[in-house]
Amino acid sequence: MTSSGPVKEMASVSSTNAESARDAARRPHRPARKAWRLHYSRRIQLWGVSFVLPTLLFFAVFKYGPMVWAVELSFTSYDMVSSPRGIGLENFESLAADPIFRQSLFNTIVYIAGSTALITLVGLALALAISTAVPGARYCMSAMFLTNLMPILAVCLVWRFLLHPYGLVNQLLAPFGVDRVDWLTDSATAMPAIIFVTVWRFAPYFMVVFLAGLLAIPDDYYEAAQLDGANAGRRFWHVTLPLLAPMIFFVIVVSALLSARIFLMPYIITGGGPGNATRVLSMLIYETGFSYMKMGRAAAISVVLFTIMMVFTFLQMRIFMNREQV
Amino acid sequence: MTNKSTSRNSRKVTRRTLVQGMGAAGLGATMGAPFAGRAFGQAKAPVKLAFWTFENPQQRPWIHKRVKLYMEQNPHVTVDFQWFPFGDLGKKISVGFATGTAPEGFVSQDWFMPTWMDKGLLAPLDVQRLGYPTYDAFTNDFAAAFVKGATQDGKVYGYPLWFYGFCNYLNTKQFKEVGLDPDKDWPKDWNQFGEVAKKLTIRDGNKFTRQGFKFAMHAAQWTMIQFNPILITHGGQWFDASGKCTINNAAGVKAMTARASLARQYGAEDPADSIATNPLPQMDWLKERCSMFWCHPIPLGAIKSQNEKMLAERYFKPVQYPGVEPGKGISTTYGFNLVVNARAPKDKQEALQDLYKFIMSDLIDCWKDTAPFSLARKSGWADNPAVKEFPDVAEIIKAKDQGVFLPRSVVYTELADAVHRGVQKIMLTNADIKTTLDEVAAEVDRASANYKKG
Repeated sequence: MTSSGPVKEMASVSSTNAESARDAARRPHRPARKAWRLHYSRRIQLWGVSFVLPTLLFFAVFKYGPMVWAVELSFTSYDMVSSPRGIGLENFESLAADPIFRQSLFNTIVYIAGSTALITLVGLALALAISTAVPGARYCMSAMFLTNLMPILAVCLVWRFLLHPYGLVNQLLAPFGVDRVDWLTDSATAMPAIIFVTVWRFAPYFMVVFLAGLLAIPDDYYEAAQLDGANAGRRFWHVTLPLLAPMIFFVIVVSALLSARIFLMPYIITGGGPGNATRVLSMLIYETGFSYMKMGRAAAISVVLFTIMMVFTFLQMRIFMNREQV
Repeated sequence: MTNKSTSRNSRKVTRRTLVQGMGAAGLGATMGAPFAGRAFGQAKAPVKLAFWTFENPQQRPWIHKRVKLYMEQNPHVTVDFQWFPFGDLGKKISVGFATGTAPEGFVSQDWFMPTWMDKGLLAPLDVQRLGYPTYDAFTNDFAAAFVKGATQDGKVYGYPLWFYGFCNYLNTKQFKEVGLDPDKDWPKDWNQFGEVAKKLTIRDGNKFTRQGFKFAMHAAQWTMIQFNPILITHGGQWFDASGKCTINNAAGVKAMTARASLARQYGAEDPADSIATNPLPQMDWLKERCSMFWCHPIPLGAIKSQNEKMLAERYFKPVQYPGVEPGKGISTTYGFNLVVNARAPKDKQEALQDLYKFIMSDLIDCWKDTAPFSLARKSGWADNPAVKEFPDVAEIIKAKDQGVFLPRSVVYTELADAVHRGVQKIMLTNADIKTTLDEVAAEVDRASANYKKG
């Protein structure tokens, strides 16, 4: 009894195998199908994904994850010590009623507008000047680009001393009859001074971008325009500017985003003062989060800043796209 | 006779009794060795502690020296000793608590104590472990004003370390230059203060060659330290009993008017220059660009490093603040506590308290390395000759003993920032004092309301 079971099982298995072998013989011959083998294009895609995956994971964990968490935090009260507590829109409501937030928002907009416009204009002007065949232009470009190689902290400290009431800037202006200007301690001049330092720092960087764009414009266009009797101004207006439009768009968007995130310059040069004259949103975020331990409120300010920049970038793109279609 | 002889014999140490005694002692030691070894092993289990403090040229190296010495004497204890810029320490600790990376022990500036204690972040200390028989014995050994900020509900949360007041530092040479006797003519009330500062000021058009006095305007904390005694002596207060900010009441306006008068009325100060000068707030006084400056005790080494001549010829002198009534000026005092993170394991909390007891066990060594930063403890240092021979130490200790504390509030940082911004507006943009103080009070009240909401 004990040994008959397995024998029977083996017999039934072998008969089953024999039947299936007969069935297979009856069927028309087909090449063996390898289910695990993917199509070439799919395999290429998977390889691509596998290469990109670490970067995607990096962004998901260190960039988009925190962004989503920041949005979530903006609806909470969180002091970094106890657990976040949901409070709905309270952070946003209190921000709307906070005069310091409103002033910081206004300062941020002024700073973005001022520095973006000037960076674009000065960067373009420098690029146009450098692209002319003036002797030593390349050396000038190298010298100007050096401003980007200096540590931002050193730049801020140096400018703080230069713009001191008894600093070099006032001493240089004195022979021209300019009376003492309290650049950093007068609410009327503090923000323009910071914008000036920003432009000094970043315009040469964008000059290189414009220069690349200018060099890409074929000389034929200028020659044709010249043959048609266009003067230098008209050639700039009708040839250079339209062909530089993508570069201009790029510079405006990037410099605006850069300006929106500016922190160190006002923090080190004026500390946000005098009063609140140079306090920008990024400074307010830092103070609210790390000095006052109100991370929920700081996250709400971040969300506001993010929204403003999203809208700004979206509008820029719309305007640019419409122009391109025309 | 026999009895006497027996009695004598019983007291007499013979070779036999000596050998017996030694044998018994040896046996006892042998029997007790396993227990002693176990006890020793338990006490000496390896302990690794993280400890943070602030950077300062004198104070940080002294704490570091004591910690190293403790580790040498207690090889089972390892202390990861880290330090940060003075203004960053509080923020670092906040982030540390948020991320679970706060150290087990740290030095807390006392204005942060209400916040840490309110959030339950500090562990109560065992006063007996710190060497005091009772709570009262502990609290009585420290300046009352300081202890008030380090204790709550009969428990001690901070072991007071340094505690000092601010003095008005004079450049006595410049006093003499303008015909003033620094020993008699130092300003004792606000009017004298303005007049003396004006006399000491030298201007070249709209440029100050020398300022009579200079307020530090580079940081909120300094604004608070320097305005605090002006507010208190003018009868003002930061908050009323209900917690409402009262800086904008009549006394507050009067105090701010007195503060602003140095520049507005006497023209003895250039606020625009003050805000832009850093990194050492007392640098202009050390470099003789201003004649008077309110400062914490200044170490002789700091004077020597910036102005060797000033130290060699000793033409400096700390005196007390001016007051509303002549000679009744008071200073701001503040200090530092050694504290323990409530989230640290129990064994580490105990080890830290042993470390703190050791750090504070040689106050004369502390004074020698960090003078003239006075200590919070009443006993064990002030009568020592090394302390007494320090120049003008009596004034420094008097400033500490008569000083008033910075406001203790859970919204201290918001208050300091709001006042700092207000002072900037008043001094730099000539804003109206009452309107500005109303804005400051409203801002602080908003912060208090937000804090209460949680």
